[in-house]
Amino acid sequence: MKKCKCKFGRFLLKLLGVALVANVALFIVFFFDLDGKLLFNVVEPFLKKHYDDMERKDTLQMPYDMDKYPKYDY
Amino acid sequence: MAFKKKLDLKNLDIKKAAKDFWYGKPHGERRLGELYEDKTGLYKHREWRGVKDTMYYFYNVWLYNYIHMVIDVQKFGGVVNFAKGVWRYRWVGQTYLPVLHWFDRGMEGLRGEALRASPWHYRGMTCETIRQFQRMFAADTKLHGGKKNDLWYHTMAHNETVWGGIFYPWSDKFDNVAMEMIPYFVTCHVNSHTVHNYIDAVQSIGLPGDPCPMCQAESGLFVLDDMPDYAPFTITSNEACDGSVATSILQDWFLDKPLFAMPQPMQFDDPLVLKHCAREIEECWRFIEEQTGVPFNWDLLVKKLEQQNELQRFEWEKWEVAAKTSYYPINGVAQALYRIYYSQDGDRQIWHDCDKKVRKIMEKCVRKKINPFPNTRHRVIAWSCAPLYFSHWCTWAYNCWGLNVVINMDSLMFDMTIRTDTYDNCLEDMARYHMWAPMRRMAVGGMHHIFELWENMEKFNCDMVAMYDQLQCKGMQGVHGLFEDEFRARNIHAFWMPHALPDSRTVSRMEIRRIINDYMTTVMHEEPLDPSLLDFDDSMGW
Repeated sequence: MKKCKCKFGRFLLKLLGVALVANVALFIVFFFDLDGKLLFNVVEPFLKKHYDDMERKDTLQMPYDMDKYPKYDY
Repeated sequence: MAFKKKLDLKNLDIKKAAKDFWYGKPHGERRLGELYEDKTGLYKHREWRGVKDTMYYFYNVWLYNYIHMVIDVQKFGGVVNFAKGVWRYRWVGQTYLPVLHWFDRGMEGLRGEALRASPWHYRGMTCETIRQFQRMFAADTKLHGGKKNDLWYHTMAHNETVWGGIFYPWSDKFDNVAMEMIPYFVTCHVNSHTVHNYIDAVQSIGLPGDPCPMCQAESGLFVLDDMPDYAPFTITSNEACDGSVATSILQDWFLDKPLFAMPQPMQFDDPLVLKHCAREIEECWRFIEEQTGVPFNWDLLVKKLEQQNELQRFEWEKWEVAAKTSYYPINGVAQALYRIYYSQDGDRQIWHDCDKKVRKIMEKCVRKKINPFPNTRHRVIAWSCAPLYFSHWCTWAYNCWGLNVVINMDSLMFDMTIRTDTYDNCLEDMARYHMWAPMRRMAVGGMHHIFELWENMEKFNCDMVAMYDQLQCKGMQGVHGLFEDEFRARNIHAFWMPHALPDSRTVSRMEIRRIINDYMTTVMHEEPLDPSLLDFDDSMGW
């Protein structure tokens, strides 16, 4: 029984330790705006390049068929 | 430098430093401008607001919203649809990932109850934005190999100025998503650069550069094929401005779907026009019935309208506190964006959830007589349409000059509840609500409504006007001189804020700040509360 309690206690301590480290790490990310810096310097330029290079449909080639649908007058 | 540092350390007042650490620096000593990296607007480090408020912002705003964004993405369509959407559409990938910086810009310098109430408004908007784009992606044929899935058949598309209330009678079986609210309108606030792609795209096909850039950007989404195909039909309006009629024509061309046009009339105080508008709403309902095969549900309409009326009644309570006391805990940008968003979007559960939280905070402020903006030097009313890329100017203006933007035109537009006692009364009120669309009632809706400024200025106890000057709005440009005359005649302090709605390239944020600085020094002869905010370059910033 004592051993069991001891194991549980150690598990709780470990859990607390992990939570503490995670909190400190997240606070560092928050306080030094590391999320903003990552998004601004890495993610956004990468995505912008991707969007710039994307092949797009030439929408101007679509015919504008004005009489295709009814007028919906009621 | 080393010497200076040594000297500073030598003169360090330990007691004062400990107090600043625990409570945060007082307003005049914060030097918020020194937190920015040059040009990018990124923070060298986020603001230290004292232990309690920094931890509140870290856990209850930053972390809470990151976690809830993930939950919302999963709840409203799943991570796979989200990832596909980010990869396919520039407006979501380039804009919405850095959304927490949008919170930062709006909440700079806030403390206490203002830091608790204002972010709830942003949380509501973030959640509803995720719902809308996730619904688009989940139903989008472009993301699903051209397949029209069940959600596609159960989604209705419409212009962002067609009020969501029009679709209430089908809200148990269908969902409605505005075409431009998320791909255009909200993007400009979160990342001001994304929209430039769409403005340039529409000009590249030969459209002149001088019409309203809002219409340009909305058309540009279609020119670049950046609009999801998420619904079998669409309802358009003239976006309350005749410049946008051309947008509807381009949308009709590029969407190639059954389309019902329901423009807001230009002259709307006439009872005959009200009847015409009511008839158009009924025609729209007939169109929806025909397209969906599902009949109009009166009981559902009443239920949803009553819920929306609840939102309006709380808005009136908020206005009452803002107008008559100094205990209003919501800052100018949160007030403006939240109000225009939900009043146009229509009833959603998230608005009720957020209002509940805000009510508690506001009631606490009134009960305990807490002034959340203690450094207010002037109570400001902002009038006309705001620069979307600098909607957080009010946060800057309070921090730098003590200008507290208490209320704004966009908030006051839909000043009504909808009667649900009879069909005729309900339809009449819905028609009036539809006609009081954004930018219509008090911007291009005739002198009587434009000049409602004076009575609202008095009602909200304001002593200064921030007059937005949308350089490409032909309607408001026409009344510039009349306002100048009235300001002089009434001896009102007012500064003009030129801008081009979403396009930050015409008048930059830096230029807007310079104009306000000039007014505050040369006309008001005042000293800034935080001189570090007078002049900085954030031209590359989101």
